[in-house]
Amino acid sequence: MPYRVHLMVCAGTGCVSNGSLGVRDALEKEIHRRGLGGEVQVVTTGCNGFCGAGPLLVVQPDGIFYQQLTPKEIPLLVEEHLIKGRPVPKLMYVPPEEKVPIPKMSEIPFFKGQRLVALRNRGLIDPEKIEDYIARDGYTAFAKALTQMTPEQIIAEIKAAGLRGRGGAGFATGVKWEKVRQAVGEPKYIICNGDEGDPGAFMDRSIFESDPHSVIEGMLIGARAMGARWGVVYVRNEYPLALQRIQIAIEKAREYGLLGENIFETDFSFDISVTRGAGAFVCGEETALIASVEGRLGDPRARPPYPAEYGLWGKPTCINNVETWANVPPIILRGAKWYSQIGTESSKGTKVFSLVGKIRNTGLVEVPMGITLRELIYDIGGGIPGGKKFKAVQTGGPSGGCIPAGPLLDQPIVYDGRGERRPLSDALDLPIDYESLTDVGSMMGSGGLVVMDEDTCMVDVARYFLAFTQDESCGACTPCREGTKLMLDILTKIVEGHGTMEDLESLEEIGRVVKETSLCGLGKTAPNPVLTTLRYFRDEYIAHIQAHKCPAHVCRELNVYRIDPEICVQRGHGCGVCRRECPEKAIFGEKNQPHRIDQALCKKCGVCVDVCHFHAVIVE
Amino acid sequence: MENRHERFEPRIVGFLCNWCSYTGADLAGTSRMKSAPNLRIIRVMCSGRVDPNFILRAFQLGADGVLVAGCHPGDCHYQEGNFKALRRVSFLRRLLRELGVDERRLRLEWISAAEGEKFAKVSNEFTEQVRALGPLRLAVGEERPAAKELEEVTVR
Amino acid sequence: MIRVTIDGVTTQVPERTTILRAAKFLEIKIPTLCYHPLLKPFGACRICVVGVKKGLGLEMVTACNTPCEDGMEVVTQAPELLRARRLVVELMLARWPNVAVIQRLAAELGLDRPRFTSPVRDERPDACILCLRCVRICEEVVGASAIGYEDRGIHRRVATPFNQESEACIGCGACAHVCPSGHIRFEGEDYRGRPAEFLLGPNTAIYVPTAQAVPKVPRIDPESCIHFKTGACESCAAVCEPGAINHKMRDEEIELEVGQVLIATGYDLFDAAPAAQYGYGRLDNTYTALDIERMLNATGPTGGRVLLKNGQPPRAVGIIHCVGSRDENYHRYCSRVCCMYALKFAHLIKERCPQAEVYNFYIDMRAFGKGYEEFYSRVLHEGANVIRGRVAEVVQAGWSKQEEGTLLIRCEDTLIGKFREIPVDMVILCNAIEPKRDAAHLARIFGLSRSPDGFFLERHPKLDPVATTTDGLFIAGCAQGPKDIPDSVAQASAAAARMLATISKGVVEIDPIRAEVDEALCSGCRTCVPLCPYNAIEYLEAKKISQVNSTLCKGCGTCVAACPSGAISGYGFTDAQVNAELEGILAL
Repeated sequence: MPYRVHLMVCAGTGCVSNGSLGVRDALEKEIHRRGLGGEVQVVTTGCNGFCGAGPLLVVQPDGIFYQQLTPKEIPLLVEEHLIKGRPVPKLMYVPPEEKVPIPKMSEIPFFKGQRLVALRNRGLIDPEKIEDYIARDGYTAFAKALTQMTPEQIIAEIKAAGLRGRGGAGFATGVKWEKVRQAVGEPKYIICNGDEGDPGAFMDRSIFESDPHSVIEGMLIGARAMGARWGVVYVRNEYPLALQRIQIAIEKAREYGLLGENIFETDFSFDISVTRGAGAFVCGEETALIASVEGRLGDPRARPPYPAEYGLWGKPTCINNVETWANVPPIILRGAKWYSQIGTESSKGTKVFSLVGKIRNTGLVEVPMGITLRELIYDIGGGIPGGKKFKAVQTGGPSGGCIPAGPLLDQPIVYDGRGERRPLSDALDLPIDYESLTDVGSMMGSGGLVVMDEDTCMVDVARYFLAFTQDESCGACTPCREGTKLMLDILTKIVEGHGTMEDLESLEEIGRVVKETSLCGLGKTAPNPVLTTLRYFRDEYIAHIQAHKCPAHVCRELNVYRIDPEICVQRGHGCGVCRRECPEKAIFGEKNQPHRIDQALCKKCGVCVDVCHFHAVIVE
Repeated sequence: MENRHERFEPRIVGFLCNWCSYTGADLAGTSRMKSAPNLRIIRVMCSGRVDPNFILRAFQLGADGVLVAGCHPGDCHYQEGNFKALRRVSFLRRLLRELGVDERRLRLEWISAAEGEKFAKVSNEFTEQVRALGPLRLAVGEERPAAKELEEVTVR
Repeated sequence: MIRVTIDGVTTQVPERTTILRAAKFLEIKIPTLCYHPLLKPFGACRICVVGVKKGLGLEMVTACNTPCEDGMEVVTQAPELLRARRLVVELMLARWPNVAVIQRLAAELGLDRPRFTSPVRDERPDACILCLRCVRICEEVVGASAIGYEDRGIHRRVATPFNQESEACIGCGACAHVCPSGHIRFEGEDYRGRPAEFLLGPNTAIYVPTAQAVPKVPRIDPESCIHFKTGACESCAAVCEPGAINHKMRDEEIELEVGQVLIATGYDLFDAAPAAQYGYGRLDNTYTALDIERMLNATGPTGGRVLLKNGQPPRAVGIIHCVGSRDENYHRYCSRVCCMYALKFAHLIKERCPQAEVYNFYIDMRAFGKGYEEFYSRVLHEGANVIRGRVAEVVQAGWSKQEEGTLLIRCEDTLIGKFREIPVDMVILCNAIEPKRDAAHLARIFGLSRSPDGFFLERHPKLDPVATTTDGLFIAGCAQGPKDIPDSVAQASAAAARMLATISKGVVEIDPIRAEVDEALCSGCRTCVPLCPYNAIEYLEAKKISQVNSTLCKGCGTCVAACPSGAISGYGFTDAQVNAELEGILAL
């Protein structure tokens, strides 16, 4: 007998770490207790994307969305919603500044603005059950590709769809597939790059965890198109759940005869193995990744020759990102025409972004290319919390750049998504697209989007990203190895208050040469955060250098901590908490007397700010 | 001086192979080494030429001792002749025992062409040994009664 | 072939030629650092960046590993390229300010005021500059992969596995050879146990033995050649244009049928090292005669100058005669040639270092040949000091700092009846001529006799010095005994003449001493057949008797002694003859 209700419990890493498995267990227990076992099914799904609101539950087929659940609310929910048929408002999502909850998931702004292609199955299937995937038209595209299309037709379809590599470079996928197909060498390999090294990025992780079969199907179609015999899925070792899910999926696919020899009783054979990464950001670079799979040190090598000609074990190899592979089945199933109608003139389809930082709705979103920053940050993202001002958005991870809020003084000429280039006055009007982001000095990257408000110091942001890339540099070529270290040194000097104006010129000069002459993508893009912040936020740098001040008060060395004597006495009555907590014993004062900080002793740790209940400590 | 008339002077026959021991003896000579005059040398091409009959004949004709000298094993000019000599001499010893001849009267030595000193030493030593053993007295005729028995044994 | 244009000059190059190679061909200079002609291009230093025209702009690529494409246009001196190169070198200077090769690059690029200091600055002039040539040559050319690199980023450094002595290292020194800063040094001894700074022999595995070698072609020493250890390298074969090098060549064994053999295998020199009292191999500046011959040669390591290890000429030289000769402990014979060459050394040293004192320590001065005694007098007039007496030992002198390095020769001067200690800077040992180490083995093969001193034995010391007791085998030269060149030549000519005489006769004379079978007496028992070491006896089936082949028979007489019927006679040594001899010698 079919179930009348499915309870989709989100079991992505975010919700799991918030206790969603406990919620699931409570649900199962309560349902069993109430004798609803034959009518209600509890399904653990992958990540829904709205990670800030977890643990999540979606009741299907109604589409009712519950957020921030705990096990003790479950009996009420079961009683009210499942037995009495009355959804529970107090467990629903309430938009900020409003009182009325929004019951349906599709109405919630976070979800409303999204368009799911790669993440089409999120929250709707149990990722460990291949039957769920097949039920949602899974592997139908592959069957069509294998039995009704020739390899050339498949490639033509991908080309017509305009799919571009989602790993960051945005190279035309169909062209790459064609190159590999035409290359000479047997056997051919395809690789799924699941290294996802950008700090804070989790798009690929999410795809592995919620819909691993979409990747396998994409790889099967690609293998058929390019004539590849073996596939490798490279997953970074820091994703244990993703590793587990993809391995289960591969085994299930083998069981069902979807991987192995003579699939569907044709002469097409293909199988996939999984390789774990070993903790190097540089292994996301394709030649370093190949070295890692071969068991060698993960050093990138010079290109040409490109992996399409000379890749894994010296054979023609196609490496694509996880998200790219996940986009392939829908393109084959629904056609290039359908796909090419989404997105902009040059960037077709959708992109998964991780929306993080100073934004209300943090999580994973998939939006059509061409959506403006304004829509993304305000409509879907919910805007900046705490009444703060939007300052900048950083795209593309540590290889990307910062786009400032407000009018862009140098009015860069930017691709407008419709085939034209126009001057852009407000960053928020920027349509998100490979070309437009590059025009403005940033890049798409793998899809990380960090929103920053007035409490973010752009110099510190640049230093943070550069510290990451500098540490991950493999050390082979001079400019990246020495240049990033020198730049980091200079930035550290600046945030500590010892910078000079010459340092800014040095940063720009070194950064330019590192970009021009580095051997691989890591070096070529590592200076981007520094160079874009210098371009758009130069005044912050100058403040650090000349005024010895950090406008966002982030750079501790430059802060001056002062106690407002009036607030201290009138509101705090000289409580003396700060005096007791100060590790340097730099605060002096008596009860009922205004306290003061001795600047010579103050080490700028900021503890006093944290402990003062009356906000008497002012940071300048 | 008196002792010389009374002292028994053994008569020793030496069968020396041409290439090694004879040349060694020659070397002893050119090096002016002193060796006993008792040794009377018969040159053969190879110690393997030495027929046991010769040795018996020598004893029969009055030799008190017989020396057979050849090249060192492995160095025979004709490859293996000295091994044959070795076998024959070993066999002959048994025969001599049966005949009641002290087998110490027959000596087999390996002397190379460079060993002049050794030749002289062996010659002197053997002479003294045989002198100590005394005369053999195997000659045919009254002085050598046992020679008759010996004659029946020899083929020619 | 494809067309490529560099700095406006167009040329044709084979496909896949790198831009750097094409530029070299056009004699356009592009600076490099990590590139090395023996290695696959690596592209690590980034100094060789050039610009490839793309649209209106230039694409910066590294010349060493970017292949040319048909129609490519390259510039090497555009301002942005110079700017980039300058900054890359500036980055290197920030970290390694005192490495000569980087300073040179900086000077070439006009960098006189480096602006930066790296937080991991290394001020040594021989710092490792991470060009990784050592790692690459060990892997690509030598095939040993004994050295690698560890850690990443700014902490990257060249190291052996677990920072321990690498067992895979074969000590070839290739890494030191390609290291541009001298960070890797090849220390210690070469494969023959001599100090590397003062090699008196070849210092590469493939070498021309001397400038006067005949034939003057290189040879490969399999003991030190990398290919024979790892199967890789073969750099010599790669650069040889006519393709004359073949590592697969092996010694061939060729069988020749000859009638006569001349053995002129020469001599070996007495190894002076075990004679520890002379200090050879232990003390500096102590040489054997052959070492000095090499040093004095104009094509030698010093160009013919007489020099000490520290590069200075010696103030005094001691030449010790009879090292290993005329010595109860080693060889009792005289090596014949040493006195004369010792005097030659004295003469040459006096000529090349007029200020030096030369001392000859001798037992007897053997100047036996034509003009030899006259030469001896001349050398005495030139001021050589001759001391008649044996040298007891050579020691380090050194009471004071000035005397460091000086050697002291302790000897007896029998002409004045005193012990003397002579300070010298250099000692030359006249070591004995010995039979070759494999003389015993050779003698066994040919059936040659050897004299007590180990040299091959001539048939007669006075009357037949080139023949041996075996027909057809001749000896000449030092294989027969120590002798100098005129005597060797004379002996060799004599031996050759004897051999030619035999050949030119056209007939071979058989020795009359041989065996023959009397057919009437032979019973066909075949006792004799297996006994003959020369297989000279044949059993004739038809006649049912054995027969001796006279040309093969050597007349040893073994078969004669063995024949039970007395059918074989050995001519010259028949039974009758021997019996007659016996009768004769025993008659008295």
